[in-house]
Amino acid sequence: MAPEGNGGNRDDLHRDAPLLRQVKRLVIIAGSILAAFVVLFVGLRLLRPYVFSGTVIQSPEPSFSFTLESMSGPVSLSDFGGKVVVLYFGYTFCPDVCPATLTDLARAMKLLGKKADDVQVIMVSVDPERDTADKLEEYVHAFDPDFIGLTGTPEQIAEVAARYGVYYAKHEGSDASGYLIDHTATVMVINEEGRLKLLESFGTTPEEMAADLAHLIN
Amino acid sequence: MRKTAVVPILLLLAGCSSRGLTVTDVWGRPSPSAAPNAAFYLTIENNGGEDRLVSADSPACGTAELHEMYDKGDGVMGMRPVEGIEIPAGGSVTLGPGGLHVMCIGRLADFTPGDHVPLTLEFQDAGTIKVNATIRES
Repeated sequence: MAPEGNGGNRDDLHRDAPLLRQVKRLVIIAGSILAAFVVLFVGLRLLRPYVFSGTVIQSPEPSFSFTLESMSGPVSLSDFGGKVVVLYFGYTFCPDVCPATLTDLARAMKLLGKKADDVQVIMVSVDPERDTADKLEEYVHAFDPDFIGLTGTPEQIAEVAARYGVYYAKHEGSDASGYLIDHTATVMVINEEGRLKLLESFGTTPEEMAADLAHLIN
Repeated sequence: MRKTAVVPILLLLAGCSSRGLTVTDVWGRPSPSAAPNAAFYLTIENNGGEDRLVSADSPACGTAELHEMYDKGDGVMGMRPVEGIEIPAGGSVTLGPGGLHVMCIGRLADFTPGDHVPLTLEFQDAGTIKVNATIRES
């Protein structure tokens, strides 16, 4: 009885063993395929170049280096060599687009943390008649104390705007508002080599701008 | 104690309404003292017939006007006053950044985060609705 029973068990083992081996083999094959996919996926992600939220500009020439007036004296673009410069054209009478953009830029600087030390945000006034250097500085500092506000003579502003492809034009508002200004609301980013590198259109989020700027900082 | 706290919160959530119009999420950005102007944003929900926002006023502004932003293409934005804002029957209109706003011209007080700035909206049919704009960053 007992040997028979043992023999029966032995037969069962002999029958099960190939099946077990097959299952093991299948598990190993499936595992290998999965591992290969993971390696491929991670590898492709690492190899894939960063995609900027802003429009990438390939400028062979360095950006036009201007000198304009700040509250504490003349400021030139060349003063910030080695830093990423964020250039924005606006005016202090602007109630909507300019404060929205400056609030977003201030938020992007906060998101950058320590890296924000390698970025300088500059707002150039397209309303030199009403924006004095003092007013402009007070205005930009309300958003971020590291921001710089620059103004100049109408001729100087016109030249800088033209060199950066910035459009601005006065038009009549109401008696109360006085004249209003249509202007390019795009944020320009100049890289550490002094070349115009990115255009961030109005509505780009602080998170997207911070990621773009972080990528440009070496 | 609890009840007294809940009632104003419910009122705040409900917004201010009149004749089918409900005004919610009224806000403005903190304004630097150097900025002569500011903007107010809000949402108007309409459960009644067609109406029209005709004007706005605030004791914190020299003048308040209804304005709209427009996109001239190539990244150029502009702003102009509008005569009124249509509020379609059963629909809603949001005044928000880059679109419509109440422009506060000649700001008379500092707007700091957490402030509540009184704003009066005048509708063609619903009449006057008084709201408070909360000052916050976005």
